[in-house]
Amino acid sequence: MGVVILLVMAAGVAAMLTRRLPTAFALVILAVVIAFVAGAPLTGENSVLDTVVQGGAPMLAATMIAILLGSWLGRLLDETGIAGTLVRKIVEFGGDRPVVVALGVLAVSTLVGTVTGSAPAAMLAGIIGIPAMIAVGIPKVTAAGTILMGIAAGMPFELPIWQFFSTALELPVDTVRGFMMKLFPFALAAAVLFVLVETRRRGVEHAWSLRSASAAPVSRRRQLGDAPWYALLTPLVPLVLALGFEVAILPSMLAGVLYALVTTTRPREMNKRLLRTLYGAFEVAAAPIVLFIAIGILLAAVKLPGAVESLEPLVKAVSPQNPVLFVVVFTLLVPLCLYRGPLNVYGLGAGIAGVLIAAGIYPAVAVLGLATSYNQVFGVSDPTSTQTVWSAQYAGVTPQQVMLRTLPYVWAVALGGFCVTAASYL
Amino acid sequence: MTAVPPGRAARAAMEELAALDDVEFGVRLLANTPTHEGRDPELLRRWARAADAYGSALAPAASTARVVESDGGLAKGLLARYTSKPVPTVELFTDTLTLAEELTDRLGWRHWYPAGSVRAAAIAHEAVHERLHHGQAKKDLKLALDHVVLRAGRHRLYGHVAGADEIAAHSHARTACGLGRSPLLLTAALATAAEPQHGSPHGREK
Repeated sequence: MGVVILLVMAAGVAAMLTRRLPTAFALVILAVVIAFVAGAPLTGENSVLDTVVQGGAPMLAATMIAILLGSWLGRLLDETGIAGTLVRKIVEFGGDRPVVVALGVLAVSTLVGTVTGSAPAAMLAGIIGIPAMIAVGIPKVTAAGTILMGIAAGMPFELPIWQFFSTALELPVDTVRGFMMKLFPFALAAAVLFVLVETRRRGVEHAWSLRSASAAPVSRRRQLGDAPWYALLTPLVPLVLALGFEVAILPSMLAGVLYALVTTTRPREMNKRLLRTLYGAFEVAAAPIVLFIAIGILLAAVKLPGAVESLEPLVKAVSPQNPVLFVVVFTLLVPLCLYRGPLNVYGLGAGIAGVLIAAGIYPAVAVLGLATSYNQVFGVSDPTSTQTVWSAQYAGVTPQQVMLRTLPYVWAVALGGFCVTAASYL
Repeated sequence: MTAVPPGRAARAAMEELAALDDVEFGVRLLANTPTHEGRDPELLRRWARAADAYGSALAPAASTARVVESDGGLAKGLLARYTSKPVPTVELFTDTLTLAEELTDRLGWRHWYPAGSVRAAAIAHEAVHERLHHGQAKKDLKLALDHVVLRAGRHRLYGHVAGADEIAAHSHARTACGLGRSPLLLTAALATAAEPQHGSPHGREK
């Protein structure tokens, strides 16, 4: 039976890789088929409809709300000009030294990455950041990579991600936070190294572009002035509250929303702006929320007693228990989290993580180490992830070029994460 | 971008471009450069004028970069490109240069852009980028732009104006190659003559 489930999973990966099915739909179908193969009844206890679909869909509800609040804060950072002001100031202060501008944009991307993720995060930092870097001579692939590496450096502090791993792996938020603190230095060092090495290796690039003298397009951004300096602290507010004062995730994020609002908006315009940005946030958050509904359903399926019993011997046989082997094997498997592969934590990887925990193969915190390390790779280099596609295309290069340039750095981050995991939790 | 013979509307648009002064193209270039959103157009005009004057006054200097020629400039929306690594190189896109020469003849702009001058201007332009990346030249341009971002008593910190180096490079190319008008006018005409096909959506390659 376990082999059949693995074959079903392989078929699901194939459907995602070939883009025959959107990831979320593929995961739900996969979950239902796995449940049936595992012998689950249609209704009742440990059943397809009641346990997998009804129980699984809202399993990650707290994560969905955190994603929505992150998107709301992201919308506010955009609409109030906070993100744009940060990048503009960096260019003004460091513009004649491309490496300084790139490091500055990296810092802004890191801040943005603590608030929200995927394409909206890339847009917040990249809409001004990418062309600003290109304008000071940073090559396009490096410019796109800088945004992605920055966002990934902020990811260990992204509160919705804490919520996701806490709920999905049934770990206290404190445990997730503790591991993220250990992962952060690797992510930050890789990001800074990427900027320093790549700007040195590739030098500067300037082009005589045909578009440079065209009439300037009129945009809404044109209307935005600089946000006040104290508003620029907005991305730090949720972080300080959650990290420094141990306030819960959702209230910390709400505090960030309120801080952005009161520091940039006249009282009579507040209601209008709050509603407008909140409704806009639903649009931004729709895709990840659908994905989290599907992941919840998949997690419920792989945790069914029948599925656990079937998969346990198989997974146990191939999962390394020796710490050195653990690091080596999972490091070699890093490419499997790319192209929506089986180790993508926002896809089948979440299901595999669920199996590893439910079958007792690794402690939950070790699975957390695996999943978050793969997430660092996926978040930067996967050519199918929305932030990578958006950044690459906006810079005028292909996602594959960005993947090749950034992969060695994030692979090293994953290696660091696996080493910490093996040393601390195996 | 793909070259198409300019129709009546495109030709009229190019003639309208010719009626603008050279500084206006500098203003447009700055306005197209991210980080200048919301800036006062008069401030942009002042910066464009200062950068133009700076570039014109730059003493001619021979470029140390090697020059290579390649095709595919129209697809990339580029006329020339300077890269500093692995060795300083100026890449000239021959298809764009050919279109520039054809357009100059068709529009009767030969008195502004003599035969072969666009190629020379491209090399002169990229040589300025090479100079602005090293040493005193970039500091001088900053002083010329006079964009003060911090003051503390007598001390002033001058800010970087993104895009100003590009205006200076064009202005230097105009002076060094004896062109009658800024290369930016020809650039704008080329953009009108070529249809968008590829390139970065933010509108500027540089």
